[in-house]
Amino acid sequence: MSWGDLLAILQGAVVTVTLSFAGILIGSPIGLALAVVRWADVPIAARVVAVYVSILRATPLVTLLLLLFFALPNIGIAVDPISAAILGLVMSTAAFNCEVWRASLMNFPKDQYEAAQSVGMNATLRFRRILLPQIARASLPGLVNEMSLLIKVTPALAVVGVVDITRAAVRIGAETYDPLPPFLVAIALYAPIVFLLVLLQRWIERRQIRVEAA
Amino acid sequence: MTTVSIIRNSMSRRLALGLAAALLATPALFGGAQAGSMDEIKTRGLIVATEDDFRPFEFVKDGKATGFDNELIEDMRKSAPFEIKQQILPWTGILAGVSTGKYDAAITAVIITKERLASLEFTSPIADATHFYLKRKGDKSISSIKDLNGKTVGVQAGSAMLARLPELSAMLEKEGGKLGKVVEYTSYPEAYQDLALGRVDYVVNTVINLQTLVVEKPGTFELGQAVSGKSYPAWAVAKGNTELLNFLNGFIAKEKESGRFAELQKKWFGDSFPNLPTKWDPEF
Repeated sequence: MSWGDLLAILQGAVVTVTLSFAGILIGSPIGLALAVVRWADVPIAARVVAVYVSILRATPLVTLLLLLFFALPNIGIAVDPISAAILGLVMSTAAFNCEVWRASLMNFPKDQYEAAQSVGMNATLRFRRILLPQIARASLPGLVNEMSLLIKVTPALAVVGVVDITRAAVRIGAETYDPLPPFLVAIALYAPIVFLLVLLQRWIERRQIRVEAA
Repeated sequence: MTTVSIIRNSMSRRLALGLAAALLATPALFGGAQAGSMDEIKTRGLIVATEDDFRPFEFVKDGKATGFDNELIEDMRKSAPFEIKQQILPWTGILAGVSTGKYDAAITAVIITKERLASLEFTSPIADATHFYLKRKGDKSISSIKDLNGKTVGVQAGSAMLARLPELSAMLEKEGGKLGKVVEYTSYPEAYQDLALGRVDYVVNTVINLQTLVVEKPGTFELGQAVSGKSYPAWAVAKGNTELLNFLNGFIAKEKESGRFAELQKKWFGDSFPNLPTKWDPEF
């Protein structure tokens, strides 16, 4: 393994981190929106969301990507590998995030919501001031769990030509016929990425405890 | 009540799932390949797909695509009257991408087989791809084809090597043996690694790929004998895309004439295969 190889894996790490975070940043709010639609039992839409979540949770990411990448051009939509990758990650993670958010929504005490209603808060305010802060806290461990899973399914994106950490390592192994060193480097890179996420979760949780204590 | 709603839910789910699948599959089934015509290619450029872990044909060194096919693409860029856009991706998506029209051509070593001729067309062969077996260096239990009886073989999934295994099976049966367990890998590097680790007893691939490997790792692997009849790799385009096929064949013919083709073959394969046919009808 040369320095150039190491650099190639690091470039892969940039791709892994960028795509994961794009997937998380877009997918989590969509998941929340889907969960609210189901929780509020919006006619028809709630059913559609339920079906969407069931289908997406049952679809492996590789299969979804191949379908997006090769079927969309057939119906006249051009997709490049990066957009297909982000679209696939968002579609998949939104479905899983939806269920995490929904779990905390279902456990949310109804009386609090009714109390807010009785003092004349409108729906937007109720959601922002009462609901969101509490369900966000309850959902955080589940969301971070899903985020770390998302980071670890990114090697699946390679199937459409995205070069993430693992694909960069595979390429080096194919060139040197010695796959172990690049794989060791790859593993050493995933750990800190996921660990950073966990640190972020702990920091948010500690901050919340402090805010509450104050 | 809950039971009822669960059942109804799952039925409507299944229905929706079926509908969604049908909706997505319909254009794929009836739309057919939308391979770009030459006029279209002249305006938007030629989109070619290459692999990234198929040394010596195409591989990535220090972040740069290199190998036999990549050098030819460089030459093509100089002479083609249109832009050439290259997509680098694993083998898994390449042929599907060409037959669905996502890419115009697969510029990689696609072995010409009868099955593939149903959805693809092939250029003139670019090398000899007779299949050989590869064994661990110093493995005394294998010294000829008949010793492969019952032993575990590794091949790449969806590869022509896999499709040609019945040929080896017939060779073994003639000697009273039979083909052992077949292990399929996403790509060859993993198969080689497993051979080195002893999880498979031999790997079947084209003579060129194996020779390059043995030159690189003489202490680990050893080349065996041929396990197939004649076989050739070529570039592939979608069926019916004759204009593009003619363009690529013209390019190959020009490169052969100038001696550049033989030079690149010698550089990457160690052999210039002077007797390659310009057209090949596979038996398998």
